[in-house]
Amino acid sequence: MHRRGVGAGAIAKKKLAEAKYKERGTVLAEDQIAQMSKQLETFKTHLEEFASKHKQEIRKSSQFRVQFQEMCATIGVDPLASGKGFWSEMLGVGDFYYELGVQIIEVCLALKHRNGGLITLDELHQRVLKGREKFAQDVSQDDLVRAIKKLKAMGNGFGMIPVGGSYLVQSVPAELNMDHTVVLQLAEKKGYVTVSEIRDSLKWERERACHVLDHLLKEGLAWLDSQAAGEPQYWLPALFSELVSQDVTPEEANQMTP
Amino acid sequence: MSFEWPWQYNFPPFFTLQPNVDTRQKQLAAWCSLVLSYCRHRKHYTLDVLEAQESPLFNNRKIERKHSVEAIQIVFEELRKKGNLEWLDKNKTRCLIMWRRPEEWGKLIYQWVSKNGMVNSVFTLYELSNGDDTEKEEFHGLEDWMLLRSLQALQAEGKAEIITMDDGKGVKFF
Repeated sequence: MHRRGVGAGAIAKKKLAEAKYKERGTVLAEDQIAQMSKQLETFKTHLEEFASKHKQEIRKSSQFRVQFQEMCATIGVDPLASGKGFWSEMLGVGDFYYELGVQIIEVCLALKHRNGGLITLDELHQRVLKGREKFAQDVSQDDLVRAIKKLKAMGNGFGMIPVGGSYLVQSVPAELNMDHTVVLQLAEKKGYVTVSEIRDSLKWERERACHVLDHLLKEGLAWLDSQAAGEPQYWLPALFSELVSQDVTPEEANQMTP
Repeated sequence: MSFEWPWQYNFPPFFTLQPNVDTRQKQLAAWCSLVLSYCRHRKHYTLDVLEAQESPLFNNRKIERKHSVEAIQIVFEELRKKGNLEWLDKNKTRCLIMWRRPEEWGKLIYQWVSKNGMVNSVFTLYELSNGDDTEKEEFHGLEDWMLLRSLQALQAEGKAEIITMDDGKGVKFF
């Protein structure tokens, strides 16, 4: 007698088993989805409650904002990722950083003629706080860094250069490569740098050092001092400590080229 | 009241003529501003280049930086182009510094005259610049040459007429 293994009947049987299996799978999936929907609904309600409870705090407390951001990072959410949606509309997180971004741009523009578009995070922080006095809202350096990152992502020509434990904020699209950055970091200590210092610290050829310094002069980030004892010094207004608290006087405002 | 130096004054490179064109423009504008405010504060109406070079204006002893004569000449040339400076000699060693231009002085003087209801009065130049009545006014102590130019500006506007009197000049305001 023939063995009935692979034959029409067996195939049909197999197909029936598969179909039944699929159906079961579909039923399973539907169940799952129903459950998930319910969970999402609950989740959404919780989020809304959370939002209304904490909206005030978001605006007022920089410490709360830090913790909030860390929490978001843990669950893989970036509340600043998009301008619309739950985060910005319900919590106003986007608003806060957007407004801060605008303020940062204003400060940088006002001082650009002085420092060529480079400013320390400290000075930026000081001036932003000054401008917010009447709103009595505290803004931390962490807030500034996040706002600047957002500005950078929007392509506003912003960037941050790590120097001496903090940052230099760049607000003009001057081309600064690694060489320039490293020299800026070197200049941070005294507010100026010389060719010899660059050669000694970085072990560069004279030509490379001069090339970088020329570029900084050209971008308006550095000024030349040829009366220094020994060799010329290259000073950066952005790093000139005496400048930090000095407001733009009316005379200075008149000198600004439009 | 002590003079408030701008931030650039203590910035060493401020005393080096900048090689970058844009930066130099900013630098010169700042220098022009500084020279005018310094002279206004000290009520200097004339400057001698060599003396100026040693004065605190162009010589910051605290940071040991000073402007060279060439650099001072460049700043002065800028001021001359703006109408704030006039050379008194061909060799450019002395100049008149007009931190306020004659028209602006004229306006101030006329304001004082009309405020005090003295239109149609006649004044000697001395009365205007050194009289007791004008002691509190900014134009008190104004040097003759500048006073005359200011009055000439007013004259051109039809607001005054300069009169020659026995012992000098006077002015009538309308």
